[in-house]
Amino acid sequence: MQKESRAYKELGVQRNLGLTKESYTLKESGLQKFGKIFKTFNRGGLLLFFFFFFLALFPSLFAPYSPSERFIPYEAPSEAHLLGTNDIGNDILSELVYGTRISLMVGFASACISTVIGLSIGLLAGYFRGWTAEVLMGFTDVVLLLPKLPLIIILGAFLRPSIWILILVLGLLSWESLARIVRAKTLQLRESGYVKSAQCIGFSSFHIMCTDIIPNLVHVILPKFMLATASAMISEASLSFLGLGDPSLKSWGIMLSFAFSRGGFIRDMWWWYLPPGLCITFCVLAVALLGFGFEPKTGVAKKEVVKLQ
Amino acid sequence: MPGDPVKNLIGEDVYVSDLVIEELRAELGLNRPLLEQFLAYIQALLRFDLGYSYHLHSPVAEVLQERIGWTLLFVGVSVGLGAGLGVFLGAYAGWKPETKLSRGLSCGFILLSCTPPYFLALLFLGIFAFKLGLFPFKGFYDTLTLGSIASHLFLPVSVLALFSASRNFLILRGSVIQEKEELYALYARAKGLYEREILFRHVVKNASLPIITLLALDFGFLFSGALFIEIVFSLNGMGTLIYDAIIGKDYPVLQGAFLLIALAVLIANILADFLYAVVDPRVRRPA
Repeated sequence: MQKESRAYKELGVQRNLGLTKESYTLKESGLQKFGKIFKTFNRGGLLLFFFFFFLALFPSLFAPYSPSERFIPYEAPSEAHLLGTNDIGNDILSELVYGTRISLMVGFASACISTVIGLSIGLLAGYFRGWTAEVLMGFTDVVLLLPKLPLIIILGAFLRPSIWILILVLGLLSWESLARIVRAKTLQLRESGYVKSAQCIGFSSFHIMCTDIIPNLVHVILPKFMLATASAMISEASLSFLGLGDPSLKSWGIMLSFAFSRGGFIRDMWWWYLPPGLCITFCVLAVALLGFGFEPKTGVAKKEVVKLQ
Repeated sequence: MPGDPVKNLIGEDVYVSDLVIEELRAELGLNRPLLEQFLAYIQALLRFDLGYSYHLHSPVAEVLQERIGWTLLFVGVSVGLGAGLGVFLGAYAGWKPETKLSRGLSCGFILLSCTPPYFLALLFLGIFAFKLGLFPFKGFYDTLTLGSIASHLFLPVSVLALFSASRNFLILRGSVIQEKEELYALYARAKGLYEREILFRHVVKNASLPIITLLALDFGFLFSGALFIEIVFSLNGMGTLIYDAIIGKDYPVLQGAFLLIALAVLIANILADFLYAVVDPRVRRPA
C-alpha cells in the first residue's frame, strides 16, 4: 500500500489527467514487480550508508579506544577488545571505526574529481560539437581503453604513497564513462525548446550550460557519481593491499593488507582479516545501492507510464 | 619517486661509497635527463627491446614471455567460464525476475560485485585450502601434469570466474528485461515456441550484444583482478611479477608489463569489433 501510494505520487500528473485509481493500479503491477528488488534493497542501502556515515563523522563516539593506543598484541576477541588486537597491540574495532573516514573520503573525493572532469568534457563536447567534440571525445576514447587498475598500480609505484596522490590518480582516471553519457544527453538537450529560446534571447553559452543544461543532467550524474565512489573505494582497498597506500593513515585496505602480511592470516585470526573486508564490501554495497536508487525508472517502467497516457 | 632503484638493488645494510653508486647509476642510465631516458626507451622499444630487469638479470621481454602464458591460461579459462555462467544465469534472472531464485541470484551477484577481488580470494584460500585442505595453497612449480595444474588453478579460476560472471549477470539481466518486451519476442510466442526457445534463440542473442563490448573493455579489469588473485594464491604469472617489481622498484619490468597489458586490451577490443559483426548481421550490412 505504501509503495503504491509512493508510485502514485510520482505519477501525480497522470492522475490529474483523469485516470481512475483502478486503471492505474492494474497497470502498475509490472512496474511494482520490477522495482521490488531495488526498492527493498534501497531502504537497506540507505540505512547502511548512514551507519557508515556516522561512523566516519563521529568515530570517537563508537570506538572504545584511540586507534593508536597499544595493548597486548595478538589477543583474541574478549570483552575488553571486542575484535581482539593486532600485531602491535592496537584495538582492531577502534581501528576499524577510524578507518571508515579514510575509506569514505578517498571514495567521495576522487568521485568528485572525476565527476567534475567528466561533466565538463561531456558538456563541452555535447554543446559545441564540431572539432572540439572530435578532440575531446577522441581523448575520452583513449582513456576508456587504458586498463585502469594496472595503470593506477604503475603510477602508484612511481609516485610517493600518499592519500592525496591516490585520490588524484583515481579521480583523474575514472571520468570517461560519465563524459560519454553527459555528452549524449547534452546533444539531446541542446536541441530542446528552452535552450533554443535562451540562445535567441542572447544568453552566453556558459550561462545556458549552467542554468539550463546542468540541472537536467543531475539524474544522469548522481548514479554515476555514486558508482564512481564505490569503485574508487574498491581501488583504494586494492592498492593498499599491494602496499601502495598511505601507511600512516590506516584505511580498511591497509588493515587487510597488514593482516595478510603480518601473520593474521597464517594464525587464522579471523577477527583481524574478516571485519575490514566485510566493511569494505558492505560500505561499497551501500554506496552502490544508493546509486541505483538515484537512477530514473528504467525503460520498462517508462513504457508503462507512456501506455498510461 | 619513492625509493631509489640503485639503493634497493644494493641493499640497505651494505655500505658503498658514493662513487660506486654513481657508477651504477651511470650504468643503468639513471643519471641522464628524463627526456633523454624516455627517448632511449622509445628507440629501444622500436627494436622490440623492452630493457633489462634490474633484479631478475635478464631481458624484460624474456621474463614477460615466460610469465604471460600462465596468466593468459588463467584469465582465458576464467573469462570463458564467467561469461557462460553470467549469460546463462542472467538470462534466467531477466526472463523471470520475480521468482525467488532469480531474486536471490541478483542479491548474490550484486554483493559479489561490491567485494574487492583479493578479499574473496583470501576467503577462498582460507576456507578451502587452509581449513578444509582440499586444494594446495601455493603455485604450480613442481610437476607440470594436467592434474596438478588443474588442482592448482581450480580455486583462482573459480574466484575470477565468479567476478567475471557477476558483471555479465547484471548486464544481461537488465538487457533481457528490456528485450523481452520487444515485439519480436511477442511474435515468437505467438508462433507457439516454447519459453526456453524464445529466450535462448531470440532474446539472448539480442541481449548479449552489450556483453561482447563489456568483455573487451573488462579485459583490463580482469587482468588486474587476476593480478591480485595471483598474488594471493602465489601463482607464477604476471601478477606476482608486477608485485615483485613494485616491491623491488624494478621499473623496466613494470613498464614492460603495463605495455603488454595495454596491448592485450587493445587486441581484445579489436577482436570484439569483429565478433560484433559475426553475431549481429546489422553491423555487417553496408549502410
